[in-house]
Amino acid sequence: MSRCMERILIVFCWICGLVLLAAIATIFGYLLYQGLGTVNLRLIFGNTSPVDALLLRKHVFAGLFPAMVGTLAVVTLSVGFAIPVGIASGVYMAEYARGGVKWVLGFCFDILAGVPSIVIGLFGFALAIFLHKHFSAGIYPSLFISSLSLAVLVLPYIIRSTQFALENLPAETRLIAVALGATKLQNIVYVLIPKSLSGIFSGVILAIGRCTEDTAVILLTGAVAFAGVPKSLFVQYEALPFYIYYISSQYANQQELSSGYGASIILLMICALLFFVASMTQKGVTYRALYRA
Amino acid sequence: MNDPVKIKIEHLFFSYRDRFVLRDANLRIAENTITAIIGPSGIGKSTFLMTLNRLWETIPGTKLQGRIEIKFQGQFQEIHNRNYPLTTLRRSVGMVFQTPNPLPMNIFGNVSFPLKLAGFRQKSKMADRVEQALKRAYLWDEVKDRLNEDALLLSGGQQQRLCIARALILEPEILLLDEPTSSLDPKAGAVIEELLVNLKNSCTLLIVSHYQDQVQRVADTVFELAEGKFVPVDFRQY
Repeated sequence: MSRCMERILIVFCWICGLVLLAAIATIFGYLLYQGLGTVNLRLIFGNTSPVDALLLRKHVFAGLFPAMVGTLAVVTLSVGFAIPVGIASGVYMAEYARGGVKWVLGFCFDILAGVPSIVIGLFGFALAIFLHKHFSAGIYPSLFISSLSLAVLVLPYIIRSTQFALENLPAETRLIAVALGATKLQNIVYVLIPKSLSGIFSGVILAIGRCTEDTAVILLTGAVAFAGVPKSLFVQYEALPFYIYYISSQYANQQELSSGYGASIILLMICALLFFVASMTQKGVTYRALYRA
Repeated sequence: MNDPVKIKIEHLFFSYRDRFVLRDANLRIAENTITAIIGPSGIGKSTFLMTLNRLWETIPGTKLQGRIEIKFQGQFQEIHNRNYPLTTLRRSVGMVFQTPNPLPMNIFGNVSFPLKLAGFRQKSKMADRVEQALKRAYLWDEVKDRLNEDALLLSGGQQQRLCIARALILEPEILLLDEPTSSLDPKAGAVIEELLVNLKNSCTLLIVSHYQDQVQRVADTVFELAEGKFVPVDFRQY
C-alpha cells in the first residue's frame, strides 16, 4: 500500500514539474513566435542611427531605446535604494531586535510585503504631491519618485531574506569569531553577513525581478508613453512594462501589437542580464568578503 | 614562591533553562598543567568551558552566579567584573571546538583573523606571528608552501591544528579544548595530543574528553563533573 502511494506521489510530482515547465515553455514560445520577427535595431532605435542614439546625440522617436534606458535606470536606482536599507534592517531584525519590538516589526514587514503595488504607487503619487506643495515646485512624479516607491515595494523581500539567512546560520558559526575576541559588530561584518550572502542575494534577485516587471507603481509615479532618454532624476521617463501595457490596451494595428511582443522579449532579456550581473556581483562580493587575507 | 594557581572557581552556580549544570562548584587549576574534565555526555562539560571565556553569555536562557578568578600577568582578575573588558578576556583565553571550524578563507587569513579582529595592522609582523602560531600547532611544515589555499581543503586533523594555531596567535594564557580529537582518526588525534603536551610550557590547558586513554596520556589532573560539582579522580587507578 505505502509502496503504491509512494509511486503515485512520485508520478504526481513529475506531473507538477512538467506542467510548470510546459507553462514556461508556452509563454516563451508564444512570445518568440509573435515578437521575434520584430526584434531588430529598428524596433530599438527607430529611424535614428544606433551610434547617435547611444551617444545621446539625437532623440529616438519611434524606438524602444528610451524605454530600455528608463527601465534600467529605475531598476538600478530602486534596488540601489533598497539594498542598504533592506540589509541593515534585516541585520537589525536578526541580531538586535528582541521580543515585542521584533514581533511588531516582523508583522509590519509582512503586511508591507502584501500591499498591492497599485497602493504603493498611490503612496508614491501622494508623496510627490506633498513634496511638490511643501518643498519644491520642481518635484513632480519622476524617475526619483518611482525608484523610491519601487524600493518600498521590494524592501520586505530584502529585509526578510537577510533576516532569515542570518537566523538560519548554525549556532556554532556564531561562536567562532566571538571566541577569538570579536565584538558583536565584527562578528556580524566579518563572519555572519559573508556566510549568509547567498540567502541575501536571493532576496536581491527577487527584488530585481519585481522592480523590472512592476507597472502599477510606475504608472502613477512618473512613467509616460513618450519622454525620451531621461537626463535627470527629476523628469518623467519611459519604461518597458509601461510601454507593453500601453500598447496592449490601445494598439491601432497588427504591427504595433507585434512591437509590444518585441518589447516583452527585450524586457525578459534585460531581466536576465540583471540577474546575471547580480549573480556575478554575489560571487565577487563573496570572494572579497571571505578570501582576502 | 609564586602561587601556582591559575584559575580559582568558587561557589559557581550555572543553569541553562532552569536546569542546573553547576551547583556550588569549586575548582582550582594550577598554572602550566593540563586539566581534564570528564563525565557522561550532556552533563555540561562544554558549557562549563564556556563560563571561563564568558561565551555562555551569548547563549539565551543561561544564568551564572559565583566567582571565577583567573591570574593574568600575575594578577587575579574576577572575569565577570563589569570593568574587565570582554574582548581582552577572550583574547587571553583561547578556545578550540569539537568539530574543526575554519572560516571559508585561505590558511593565512584564518590564522591571522584574530589579529585582524584585534586591530593589528603591520603586515610583515603579521606573517611572522602566523608562522610562529602554525609552528606551535605542528602545522607549519605541511602548509608553508600553500598559505593562500582555501583552509577547507585541509584534512580534518590539519583543520583542527589550524584552529589551534588560530587560537594560539594571540598568545593566550589559557587554552580551552572541547573534545578536540573526537571527530578525528586516531593518528590525527595522536599528533594533537603530542602538541598539547608541548603547549604546557606556555599555556594552562583545560580539556574536555570522552576518552579515558587520552586523559591518561595527556592530563596532569582529572576531575569528573558529577551532580554539578567537580570530583577529583585519581586517574592512575583507571
